[in-house]
Amino acid sequence: MQEQPADIQALKAAAQSAIDGRRDWLISATKTVLLNPEPGFQEVNTSRLVSEKLSELGISHESGIALTGIKGYLRGVRGGPTIAVIGEMDSLKVPGHPHADPESGAAHACGHHCQLGMMLGAAVGLRASGVLAALSGSVALMALPAEEFIDVEYRWGLRRDGKLGLMSGKQEFIRLGAFDDVDMAMMVHTSASPGEKKFSVGGSSNGHLVKYVRFIGKASHAGSSPHLGTNALQAAMVALNALNAQRETLKNEDNVRLHGILTSGGTAANSTPADVVYEGRVRGRTPEAIADANMKMDRCLRAGALAIGAKVSIVTIPGYLPMLHDETLMDVFMGNAVRLVGKSNLVVHPSDRTRGGSTDMGDLSHIMPVIHPYTGGATGMGHGVDYLVDDYEQAVINPAKAMAMCVIDLLADGAAKAAEVLSRSSPRMTRQQYLAMQEGRLTQELYEGD
Amino acid sequence: MVERVFSTLPGVGYQGSAMPAMTVEELKASVLAEIDRRGGEAVRIAKQILDTPEPGFREQKTSRLVAEEFRRLGIPHEEGIAITGLKGMLAGGTDGPTVAVIGELDSLIVQGHPHADPQTSAAHACGHHCQIGMMFGVALGLMAPGVMESLAGRVALFAAPAEEYIEIEYRDDLRREGKIEFLGGKAELLRLGAFDDVDMAMMTHTQSGESMSGVIGTGATNNGMVAKRIMFTGRAAHAGGSPHHGVNALNAANIALSAIHAQRETFRDEDTIRVHPIITQGGVAVSSVPADVRMETFVRGRTTTAIASASRKVDRALRAGAMAVGGSVTVTTLPGYLPIQTSPALTHLYIDNARGLVGEDGVEPMPHRSGSTDMGDLSQIMPVIHPYVAAATGYAHGADYVVKDYDLGVLTAAKAMAMTVVDLLAGGGRRGREVLSKHRAPMTKKEYLSLMRGMFNEETFQE
Repeated sequence: MQEQPADIQALKAAAQSAIDGRRDWLISATKTVLLNPEPGFQEVNTSRLVSEKLSELGISHESGIALTGIKGYLRGVRGGPTIAVIGEMDSLKVPGHPHADPESGAAHACGHHCQLGMMLGAAVGLRASGVLAALSGSVALMALPAEEFIDVEYRWGLRRDGKLGLMSGKQEFIRLGAFDDVDMAMMVHTSASPGEKKFSVGGSSNGHLVKYVRFIGKASHAGSSPHLGTNALQAAMVALNALNAQRETLKNEDNVRLHGILTSGGTAANSTPADVVYEGRVRGRTPEAIADANMKMDRCLRAGALAIGAKVSIVTIPGYLPMLHDETLMDVFMGNAVRLVGKSNLVVHPSDRTRGGSTDMGDLSHIMPVIHPYTGGATGMGHGVDYLVDDYEQAVINPAKAMAMCVIDLLADGAAKAAEVLSRSSPRMTRQQYLAMQEGRLTQELYEGD
Repeated sequence: MVERVFSTLPGVGYQGSAMPAMTVEELKASVLAEIDRRGGEAVRIAKQILDTPEPGFREQKTSRLVAEEFRRLGIPHEEGIAITGLKGMLAGGTDGPTVAVIGELDSLIVQGHPHADPQTSAAHACGHHCQIGMMFGVALGLMAPGVMESLAGRVALFAAPAEEYIEIEYRDDLRREGKIEFLGGKAELLRLGAFDDVDMAMMTHTQSGESMSGVIGTGATNNGMVAKRIMFTGRAAHAGGSPHHGVNALNAANIALSAIHAQRETFRDEDTIRVHPIITQGGVAVSSVPADVRMETFVRGRTTTAIASASRKVDRALRAGAMAVGGSVTVTTLPGYLPIQTSPALTHLYIDNARGLVGEDGVEPMPHRSGSTDMGDLSQIMPVIHPYVAAATGYAHGADYVVKDYDLGVLTAAKAMAMTVVDLLAGGGRRGREVLSKHRAPMTKKEYLSLMRGMFNEETFQE
């Protein structure tokens, strides 16, 4: 490991010891979030908690960005680039999870609660005596809503009511200009994968499109006059059966995922289902793979309607873009991760290693340098009932330190490293291009079967 | 109703001798005695046909056998009508109605049937061999001395091809080659005019005794049907190396089948819809994405309206299969059979004779049957009956359907029909004329042909 200048080492040591000093405070805040799970754009209590914690730290911030989002600032004494440190506020919905809300089924089965602890922890570290005085630039502390792209019907309603433009937290932050003053961003996600060791960096994630689909039939008495009805559930069944038949045409290397849920499968067993709602997801490694799989999804949905003589309304909602890690930022993070946990506890994934899932950090990564490493600390399956954080040291404290140390590397020394990151990076698109692309991917069609 | 002018075409029977007219009872007694005396010939014919099973429009050997028997018995006849069909004629002493007695030539194809052809699996798993035996039984009985001379009118003896509507692809190819227009034997005989000089018709079908309490059943109705020849077209590709370049026609068929099943809840019970496809080609090599998958199906139902509605649902399910995989489907809808309606007046005469043979309790009314027969077509334009004799065991069209009782399955059945012919044509054909005058045919031959031709449809669907 390259020896660092003594002054930077001292800054990092100060940050680490400040974080250690607030260890219990951070973990307690994290567990409070765990026990108050709220799905995307509904993180009212979580948002209030984050706001209170930032206020306790004396950090000024805005609330209510994209409904529940928060953005605070730490300013170095001199001007310079702005680095976002991000935590996600939303929970999943996994009924049966030990920490699930008994009514809503909302549960932190993806570890986002830890991200808020890390973000606050990074703030604690950077507020340590003398640190900000040595930095040129700012840190944007962000608590973002709605990373999990769920409750599509609910969010589609928010969009229709003009409360949302794009339907995930980072997408909407970008649209609202909340990232306009940010130059680069980082966040750390928890993981239970044993291969991840303590930290992992690199790899990519799938992009995706979101399908909001409604099969429209005609209700009739399911016992006495099924011949007068048009069964929308049968249309959906035919469509899903057909969808499975597409799988052999999906290339392994495209990592395509076609999956979904029926959010309404009928209203009464003795009435022919006339309104069946499917929330689907089309994921893939490349825009071409996603477009191909989406075309196949659509023709299956239409075929379901055609077969039964039903109608199908297909709304295709722009989802996430594949993740692009900034190499320079990744180097900075790796250096600090090794300092914290040792080289043997770090995994570096090749850039073509795609996780099947998706994140809206991928969207951000198309307009600025971004990293999205993973930290251990959890057990079980991501998004499963058994996903639990059992090592808060690794799930909150170490990643908080790592991010604070990265910020110090980037903004110390007149922000020379941040300047290097920016000079080496070439984002794929501007914010305007990104927004135009996403709006262009939003399509609606009503197919009348027969 | 316009009084029919009966034609006098040649036929054996009345030779101009001046025998005294016999009463109906005397005539029937002669007929029954003759069938008892010569019945062995009819049973032999039935058993010979059992051993040479041939599916429809391929009944070459069976047709030759029937022709030889017509020649042996000195019955004038035509051959090769609708490829393999035959029509013999017995003429009465005076003019009168022409009554057809029909037997069917064709076998089914049922693998594993004890009498199946080892090469083709053709098998008489529906008892048609007995029908030819019965038809000859009737002929033998009516050829008893003095009988035909006493009758007014004629008896047309039909060996009709292709009642089982199978091998649709083969037959549709015959159609495309101009060798047939309709894929069922009686429809084709009708089209060719073979029934133009026939006024009414009867045939008797064997039936498994397990499904009847009596031994003779009458009055059943049958489903009508349309048939479909279906071809899903995809794109071949290496199924291992590059399935993403292929378009899987078998998946299209599979989705379509699933979609057809999803329609079933919309079929009304009273319409007795049956949709039962088979896949006749499901791909050619397992390592190649199937690009040419063929299916055949019937769409059966109790009324032509119900059939049309179900047929439309099947078509949209087939299109959906093609749409889902991005392939195409060609659906050829072929007119099949019309629902049967038997003549109450003819049935009444028949029941009296049947009761005389098997007793009061031996004859039972039969319910609606969800199978189909091209006697249904004939029933749309003339009075017909299509009774059943419980001479078989096992499931019809199954590997275990075997005729056990040839006395009943050939001879009793022949007797009941021959006696009914005597009733119709004795006494100057009075009762035959009565049946005709009471009958209101649903359609004329011209209307029938136009209805059938209107059912033809061929579409290729590709999104």
